[in-house]
Amino acid sequence: MGRYLSIFLTFTRACLVRDMTFRTNFVIECLTSLGWMSMNLAFYLLVFQFTPEIGKGTGWTREPFFAFVATGLIINSIVQALFMPSAEELTEMVRTGGLDAVLVQPLDAQFLLSMHRVDFSSFANGLVGAGLLGWAVMRMDHAPPAAAWLLYPLLILCGVAILYSLVIMLAAATILLGRNQSLYDFWFYITNFSRYPAEIYAGPWGGLLRALCTFVIPILLVVNVPARVITQPLEGRGWALVGLAVGAALLALVVSRLVFQAALVKYRSASS
Amino acid sequence: MHNSHGGPASTDAVIEVEGLAKSYRVFDKPEGLRASLKALVHRPSRVVEALKGVSLTVGRGEFVALLGPNGAGKTTFLKLLSGIITPSRGTARVLGHVPWERADDFRRRFALVMGQRNQLWWDLPAAESFRLHREIYRIEPARFERTRDELVDLLGVRKLVLQPVRDLSLGERMKLELVAALLHEPEVLFLDEPTIGLDVVAQHALHRFLAHVQAERKMTIVLTTHYMKDVAALCRRAIVITGGSILYDGSLDQIVDRFTTHKIVTLDLDEAPDREEFARLGFPCEIRGPQVTLRIDRQRIADVLPEILRGRQVRDVSVEDVPLEEIVAELFRSGGTAAPREPAGAGA
Repeated sequence: MGRYLSIFLTFTRACLVRDMTFRTNFVIECLTSLGWMSMNLAFYLLVFQFTPEIGKGTGWTREPFFAFVATGLIINSIVQALFMPSAEELTEMVRTGGLDAVLVQPLDAQFLLSMHRVDFSSFANGLVGAGLLGWAVMRMDHAPPAAAWLLYPLLILCGVAILYSLVIMLAAATILLGRNQSLYDFWFYITNFSRYPAEIYAGPWGGLLRALCTFVIPILLVVNVPARVITQPLEGRGWALVGLAVGAALLALVVSRLVFQAALVKYRSASS
Repeated sequence: MHNSHGGPASTDAVIEVEGLAKSYRVFDKPEGLRASLKALVHRPSRVVEALKGVSLTVGRGEFVALLGPNGAGKTTFLKLLSGIITPSRGTARVLGHVPWERADDFRRRFALVMGQRNQLWWDLPAAESFRLHREIYRIEPARFERTRDELVDLLGVRKLVLQPVRDLSLGERMKLELVAALLHEPEVLFLDEPTIGLDVVAQHALHRFLAHVQAERKMTIVLTTHYMKDVAALCRRAIVITGGSILYDGSLDQIVDRFTTHKIVTLDLDEAPDREEFARLGFPCEIRGPQVTLRIDRQRIADVLPEILRGRQVRDVSVEDVPLEEIVAELFRSGGTAAPREPAGAGA
């Protein structure tokens, strides 16, 4: 474990050195990311000019909803910074045979493939998310209990684990198919569902979608559960969701690991 | 221990391969819009056998060349031996391990360098890749520094390790790739066309370097290449693969003995010779100014040469084997059916 941490720090250091080599690019990436996030926040502020709550009786009034958005920003910034750059590179590595070099190294291939690039500019959104969370929580009607603060980081990790597992399964599909650009688009479409409170999926079709995104691809648990824990009182249903999120995260990690290992056995390598 | 094709003896087998085969299903892309639409429902496919049951043994410290035309199965063979892909059938053991099980213990003991692929961090100096390599292979700092310094000095690239890799020439990059590959002092080194695209000077530098480290470290090296200069400079054993099967496995000298029956005699005369006079000798003959090149049956050289020289003003004469490139190219073309070959006019 210590060795993997040390290797990860070496990757991180190398990526930082690289980012500092292309400083202007780094600054532009930060600004683009912050600009996109600001537009989203402005849009939500606009929505709350017309309604006090997203869905009647759901508890998603302005401040809790911004805590929800902040939670999404934190989770997504971790995934975008730590895993997505490597995953995006994987398609090219499979197509050109660059994956060969990874497979001959005495290290877990999943670790190497999913964590060898770190995008520091994505952390900018996470920092703003943390600030937004603080602002929203201070303005809420009730302060979150100590248990909520303890559970919150754990559930953030669960959310990251679920998204990471999804990335790994898409990476496995890339290895099997040889090229998989559209499936990464699929990742962005599916993760869009995690950006809104689960309560908006109502009615027969909404209910079906909600069940699908909770139990089959547990994308709705990613942001909803930690955001609910920090913004709403912890009751019976809240605890059940916590259990579900932890279980889903563990199961997703195991399943994605198995799928990835199976894909590596089928790896064909590119012609030289 | 002897390899199955009569190669040099070795006491300690490092690579043992039996009936190794790899086949791929490839999909044909039909031409035209109608055919493309049809292919959405049913894509025509066929099975390509990249390797057809290869068996061989390589002993510790051997430097083996793997020769073959494009698509012969050389790189597939190296990928199987390094565990990148899994075979369709057959067995292989490298350093006692089944390669495609990808045990860390195995992967720590070999290295693979591919001439057409870059394994160093592109935007960073090679020193950063070396540092990462040290972590991945758990090399002690003192040993790492000693090996790195020795390798960069041997290749004369000390000044380049702090320069971003993207700014280096192909030859410089390949040298640094080799340094990275050898930092953990592998027992087996797989080299896939390491000199491809390099100029003569860089090729020569790599030859010297590889010969030196192989001799020093008793490393087992398997090299695939299209350049016979690589082979002649480095290897005593050559394995010729065509169409996924081994056509020849033995010493380089034996290739010449087995697949050619003639030698090339070059005469440098005082003046341009009479073409008809040489044509009458009955050997394939080429005349350029005062220089005459003849292909003569090697069994008859001793008898024929004095006769050719008699009565002529000869400034220089040389008798050489057919160039290795020529023999191997003919082998590739014929798929082995050309051996042994009879030179035209041998019976004259």
